Amino acid sequence: MVALARKTLIYEWRRFLPAMLAVGFAGLLQLLQIALVLGIFGSTSLYITGSSADVWVGYPGTQSVGSGRTISADVESRVLMDPAVQRVEPYIWVDGDWRGVGETGGVSVFVSGIDPGANGLMFSKALPPSLRARLVEPDAVVVDRSALDQLGVDIGQTATINGHPVRVVGISSGLRALGGVNVLCSLDTARRLNDDPADNGPTYLVAKLRDPSKAGAVAARLRGATAFGPYTTWSADDFARLSVLYWLFDTGAGAGVLFLAGIVFLVGAAITSQTLIAAVNGSVREYATLNALGVGVAALRRVVLEQAFWVGALGLLGASVLGLLLLMLARSQDVPVVLNVPAALACIVLVMGLAAVSGLAAMRSLRRADPATLLR
Amino acid sequence: MHPATASQQISGPALFAEGISKAFVSGQQRTQVLDGLTLGIEAGELTLISGPSGCGKSTLLAILSGLQKVDSGRVHALGSELGQLDPRALERFRLQHTGFVFQGFNLFPALSAFEQVELPLNHMGLSRDEARRRARVSLEEVGLAHRMRLRPSELSGGEKQRVAIARALAKEPELLFADEPTSALDAANGQMIIDILHRIAHAHGTTVLCVSHDPRLVVHADRVLAMEDGRILSDRRTHAAVTQSKEIPS
Ligand SMILES: Nc1ncnc2c1ncn2[C@@H]1O[C@H](COP(=O)(O)OP(=O)(O)OP(=O)(O)O)[C@@H](O)[C@H]1O
Ligand SMILES: [Mg+2]
Repeated sequence: MVALARKTLIYEWRRFLPAMLAVGFAGLLQLLQIALVLGIFGSTSLYITGSSADVWVGYPGTQSVGSGRTISADVESRVLMDPAVQRVEPYIWVDGDWRGVGETGGVSVFVSGIDPGANGLMFSKALPPSLRARLVEPDAVVVDRSALDQLGVDIGQTATINGHPVRVVGISSGLRALGGVNVLCSLDTARRLNDDPADNGPTYLVAKLRDPSKAGAVAARLRGATAFGPYTTWSADDFARLSVLYWLFDTGAGAGVLFLAGIVFLVGAAITSQTLIAAVNGSVREYATLNALGVGVAALRRVVLEQAFWVGALGLLGASVLGLLLLMLARSQDVPVVLNVPAALACIVLVMGLAAVSGLAAMRSLRRADPATLLR
Repeated sequence: MHPATASQQISGPALFAEGISKAFVSGQQRTQVLDGLTLGIEAGELTLISGPSGCGKSTLLAILSGLQKVDSGRVHALGSELGQLDPRALERFRLQHTGFVFQGFNLFPALSAFEQVELPLNHMGLSRDEARRRARVSLEEVGLAHRMRLRPSELSGGEKQRVAIARALAKEPELLFADEPTSALDAANGQMIIDILHRIAHAHGTTVLCVSHDPRLVVHADRVLAMEDGRILSDRRTHAAVTQSKEIPS
């Protein structure tokens, strides 16, 4: 079989280059957009994904980690009674007002009071053990590298949170927050920083199970008791998803992503189909000659569709290479970008869908390949 | 001998048009291009249709080859009535039985001469080896054995038209249609093309129908139909053809 589609694509690559660029850039835009959104909004579940707790206990109706309310400390004993639970620890969230030594004005901070012990569950994946150990000191805090300028401090310096003095004993990385700055301290320090006398329990209790795969079942089992005041439970995965979805949709960012994805698709498809149509029109007399010789329209359509496929595949290849380079660059600059398999698949589907739509549009111009027009 | 037996396989003319009419309507204006034309074309001959520009030569060719529908009348080709065939069946008929050569060469810029010829054969259900054998033989027959690997941009106009002829010839069609095959070429190249078409008709028993207003070609045809205003004015066998047909035992 003479590979007409591929040979034409190679020989007349200049004619197909705009289509490949359109497809590639549409893919690249989509990839970066998804990676950025996942990176930015993924940070809203960092408290969960950066910790090794399997089950979270918090106030009923909590929509994201940052909007919890205190629960009774007595719930801890209820949770510990469950034989599946290996360890429980409190987690205190305090919204704070940071005043640094530099001229920064007030900065809104999210104080995370965690168990500084070596076995602590909170931030066990995000905080190196040596840094965690330093939190044992009273009024010691760890701040994220990305927020140093914003907070106007450096390691060893002091500042105040809600009017209480704190000292920066360490600098973490990868703990960027959305809408504020994460500050880590011990549970005792967090209690001192909280100036609301009504809050006298933990914001959350987090539990580690002997068998993490049972998180869903255990969370369901622990729910429903009312003897200790209102509380509910989630598996860590569910709570992380809840947090990300809350931010995506209640901030309108999710709708924005979908909207932009639609625009990218439309613009990409418009440019790609126009260039493919031009390429088909450029060969329309040759196609008409083949049809005169009896080569069916279906076979000619396959040629056009195959060209669209290659345009899509090559555009995708270019987008992947460039996208990975850009993502690496972003990572090195502390820009929060995350790419997971479903997101990458979504990009591939978008790009190949775009190529297919363009191919179908270009196929329509084969109608002009009527062999009778060759006889004039 | 061989040409005679080939042409005897079909009883009566290979192509027969019976009272065909064709009009084009554009806006308010209606142009009657063909009006009740009846015509038979014999196998194994090079038949030339000549006439002034716009008299309906190309339209007649398009109708006889099944590329265009008639308004009224019938066209019989190799025992089938073309008007009865649906577009699919017409495509299949053309695939199996017809070859075309157009004024423009219509070659794919990306393909070598060999691939141009091989491409339609791929769609005829031939094996790869058979398709390649036929492509090679056809290109040799038009004198391009040494040019098979070249792309159209590396070929002269006459060579390109010979590739187009080889593309039609490799299908081993019973009917070969050519519309102004020489008008884009100089005298020498035009001469060579008409010689090849003539040889194809005689060597393969192919029905070759050629449209041209080039008077130099008239002497090379077996039969010349002069057309004007959609009618056949004269139908004569040329001297060259008469002497040649005497050589062929019938
Ligand atoms: N698709 C069409 N629509 C309208 N009119 C047409 C169409 N095709 C042909 N005609 C008209 O039919 C007439 C005959 O056209 P045709 O192409 O058969 O002429 P021709 O004899 O081949 O001329 P030439 O020698 O210049 O090629 C012309 O007047 C032309 O304008
Ligand atoms: Mg014409």
